[in-house]
Amino acid sequence: MIGTRPAFVKILYSLEEAAYYMLRSIKPKGRTILLYLCIPVVWYVFSVFIPLITAMFYSLFEWKGGPQKSFIGIENYISLIKDFSFWEAFSHNIYLVILCIIGQIGVAFVFVLMINSRLVKLKGIHRTFGFFPSTVSAVSVGFIWMMIYDYKRGILNWILEITGHADQTKVWLNEPGLVMSLVSIPLVWQFIGYYMVILLSAISSVDSEIFEVAELDGASAFQRAIYIVLPLIKNTLLVCVTLCVAGNMKAFDHIYTMTEGGPGTSSMVMAMYGYKVSFAQMNMGYGSAISVGIFILSLIVIGGMQKALNSLMKGKGVE
Amino acid sequence: MKKKLVSMLLCTTMVVSLLVGCGSKTEEAAPAEEAATEEAAPAEEAATEEAAPAEEAAAGLAYAGELSIMHFSTSEESEGNGGSDGFRTMIAEWKSANPGVTLNETVLANDEYKTQIATLAAAGDLPDVFLLQGMNTKAWAEQGIVLDMTDIIAKSPYAADYKQNFFTPFTDDAGKVYALPALTGGTCTVVVYDKQMWKDAGYDTFPTKWEDVVAAKEKFAADGIDTIAFGNGGKWQANSCLMSTVGNLYTGTDWFTSIIGKGGAKFTDEAFVNSLKFAQDAFASGVFNADFNAITNEDAREYYIAGDAAAFIGGNWDVSYIMATLLEADETKYNNIGFATFPNPADATAATNLQNIGMGFGIAINPKVAEDPDKLAAAVDLAYKLTGADFSNYVAENYALSGVTAVADVDLSGFDQITQDFYNYSYVDTTPCEIYDSYVNSAVWDVFNTGLQNMLNGDMDPETLAADTQAAYEANY
Amino acid sequence: MADVKMTKVKSVKTPAEKIKVGLLSGFLNLMLILFSASCIFPLVWMFYSSLKVKRVFNADIIGLPKEPTISNYVRIITNPDYHIGGSMLNSVRTTALSLFFIVLFGFIVGYILARIKFKGNRILYVLFLMGMLIPVHSLLVPIYVVFNTTGLGNKWFTLIIPYVAFGLPIAVFLVEGFIKAIPVELEEAAAIDGSSFTRTLFSIIFPVARPILVTIAIIQTFSCWNEFSFALVLIKDSALQTVPLAMTMFKGQFASDYPKIMSAMLTTMAPIVVLYFVFSKQIIKGMVAGAVKG
Repeated sequence: MIGTRPAFVKILYSLEEAAYYMLRSIKPKGRTILLYLCIPVVWYVFSVFIPLITAMFYSLFEWKGGPQKSFIGIENYISLIKDFSFWEAFSHNIYLVILCIIGQIGVAFVFVLMINSRLVKLKGIHRTFGFFPSTVSAVSVGFIWMMIYDYKRGILNWILEITGHADQTKVWLNEPGLVMSLVSIPLVWQFIGYYMVILLSAISSVDSEIFEVAELDGASAFQRAIYIVLPLIKNTLLVCVTLCVAGNMKAFDHIYTMTEGGPGTSSMVMAMYGYKVSFAQMNMGYGSAISVGIFILSLIVIGGMQKALNSLMKGKGVE
Repeated sequence: MKKKLVSMLLCTTMVVSLLVGCGSKTEEAAPAEEAATEEAAPAEEAATEEAAPAEEAAAGLAYAGELSIMHFSTSEESEGNGGSDGFRTMIAEWKSANPGVTLNETVLANDEYKTQIATLAAAGDLPDVFLLQGMNTKAWAEQGIVLDMTDIIAKSPYAADYKQNFFTPFTDDAGKVYALPALTGGTCTVVVYDKQMWKDAGYDTFPTKWEDVVAAKEKFAADGIDTIAFGNGGKWQANSCLMSTVGNLYTGTDWFTSIIGKGGAKFTDEAFVNSLKFAQDAFASGVFNADFNAITNEDAREYYIAGDAAAFIGGNWDVSYIMATLLEADETKYNNIGFATFPNPADATAATNLQNIGMGFGIAINPKVAEDPDKLAAAVDLAYKLTGADFSNYVAENYALSGVTAVADVDLSGFDQITQDFYNYSYVDTTPCEIYDSYVNSAVWDVFNTGLQNMLNGDMDPETLAADTQAAYEANY
Repeated sequence: MADVKMTKVKSVKTPAEKIKVGLLSGFLNLMLILFSASCIFPLVWMFYSSLKVKRVFNADIIGLPKEPTISNYVRIITNPDYHIGGSMLNSVRTTALSLFFIVLFGFIVGYILARIKFKGNRILYVLFLMGMLIPVHSLLVPIYVVFNTTGLGNKWFTLIIPYVAFGLPIAVFLVEGFIKAIPVELEEAAAIDGSSFTRTLFSIIFPVARPILVTIAIIQTFSCWNEFSFALVLIKDSALQTVPLAMTMFKGQFASDYPKIMSAMLTTMAPIVVLYFVFSKQIIKGMVAGAVKG
């Protein structure tokens, strides 16, 4: 873990340096900065890192839950590397991440541009309603979509029937090949508004005259999006991608509500697997190793993603 | 602008401090309120009931102080669920009989209870009294986080009336017992069927042979009705409410005893693999609703209630729900309820007329309580109360159910025919067998249940499932 | 001003272009209306379904209730076991306090990370990045152990600690990204005027950063309000339960009564959703801070 940090920091350095605005004229005293930083950082480290370090400690033990633990070194990690179920779950997470980046941020970006277009009416309503699903708890969203996918009473099958496609009806959540996509849809749907809100506030810092000037120049909507808006909100967009990857690497609630990972392990994701191992199987040591594994894999994926995005943007002539 | 900002900050600070103030106040006020409302109810009940025998043992509890208990009998659940209602009633009675003890209750719904108790067990911070799940007994006993209750049980005022076979899930290899079986003993596999619908299809009672069920399917399917409704969305149902009986029909009851005692039986034994093959074929045959793996037992029983399925397989909790719902909504259909054991498959010859029954949870005590003998006495007294004659009488009189303490001469005449039928199904007319997942441990069953869902879909063959389960069994048990 | 420009743009358009624009505008509006409708429909559906009885709902899950009943709500409100008043208060307090600290800390840390060059700046940034990657569900046991051994578990303020900590990374990130897009001249001018760091931070940067701070507040309100796992593990005392936890008791162990579940979900959501819709105009205004001219 510690070995990966410098390399990771380096990536971030190279990524940020170009766009790095630093205060040069005022140099606040180091003490002032320290004073401002100490409470948040201590608070944060206590509740986020102490449990993580505790988990790293536990992961070195064979521990079935209870006071007795036996030290087994890195054996849990060796099993983890060989654990097919874990890697299957990882592949599901990656699938989820890809779908969500396109479906959430991509769609949100398009919608934000649309809302900013003067051709669109009812802007206020779209902003207010669009965010609404994000206010609902994951369990409720999962529940709503379960009702949509339900075999006998579900809305999806009902629509298929009344449109004359009765032969297409399925027990949707029992289709191993489809279930990952089906459980991703509610996630995508719920958080479009979330990213819309973030992007809207980022765009608000962009002078709206730029839109209009571009229009006078005859720039097409697509060009405008890529060459004008995108670079201006690049930082926020990167944050969104990071948020999206991070959120989906530890996805849990929606899928747990809808399928509990089933049928079999067809919709099992990493966090759920860790939860099952810890609580259903009472294998706390291995469960801790899984959570550390999730953490490390997420770091790698995010690092890779940021690097890829950055070179992509550079390739597009942005920045 | 600046002024605005300052006032905004000020406002926020005020609101914050206000909230903090409110918070600490409600914290103190709330428990007092609760205690007041809870005490009012049991006082009346206690007055109507005769002096219970448990009071003798309770006479003069030396302990005064706090005792914590954690359980999952929420008030919502106690409506219609006899065991929960009895449990809550006993707690209330015990509280009013022992005003010197402050009983701190943590009540959570069952799913949340399981997560919470596992966390507390792992952290070595279990409450004084809690409900132990049968399959955790051996692991937790090894960890030393549950008190050995063998002597406590032997000294119980109800010792002579305890039904010994309910204790096996809570017993370790050395014969020590770690919990007093709690709530009600109920069947986990019962076929609930609509007598009228089966009569119309040409069957006077539910078939005793599986072939006949498959044959009946054609008739029901023609009307767009599922023959049997079943829900395995939670993954445990096919284990608890189907395989526990079907497996025993194939293997005979000794096989599972050998599994429990590590006596050489294997999940890969031919008889057990055959039972898995049967289950796979049964679900492929179209007898069950197509969405059996996507819905829970709770949805499946609604299919039966709505008349979309001619029968339903589930446990006693489903039966009490179906009965309560139909009694209110459709009395004719209520009176047509019939109960049957799982019909024998043609090649299952080891046993017949089986149903798996038991008590999944038992009252256990944290060993730390034993450091204070007076506190232990209080905890033990509570455990006796919750599982003793008072409880059994209460659930027998009100629900025709039975707890771990036997009650002489249950008078069923006050109950209607359907309730009596179910009592007889559960306790009289059938041969009991064990519930698989009350034993062994969760690590094994998690592998089995997950694979079972795949297998019933036809995506895994029975041999692979048996081998995977056997591997988990050898690694974890 | 925008209006003047709009007419200018329109006036140069040919009839063919006008049709094209018309079609485009129809398409854009339709798309957004469909999306907005899909977002709000579940709420409406859950609300009217919660007024049905179970049997009616199971027979027809989409239709309107013919004999609406509020019995589920009456049960939630009258049953002392759900201590709905107390748990609402707990939720309000926890959410409000968490929000206050998330916004305050997020603003400070985000600003410092964006603007001040010091050793360890990027390390701190990565440290906060890591916070978003913690899989909470499989870390419940260590979290419980840490809180229990430090004596911070099962108190009225317990939940605020993890909510602030786990809300901070997103806040820090958003603030950092936002501040970087603001021209640095603003602070430099202030510095020339002799403004101290603290004054610059709160009286010059804070108002400029308002859109992103409002956004953070909105996002975090709902995640704090709906949070369940920490509440389950860290709170034992039923008097300290938050609404999502209290509402789990409303579904019995083996009961599944969908209208009932929906009424519990709606009860959980109600205060926060009402607040959101009532103040949505102000919220959005704060969020886009006069930059986007509609």
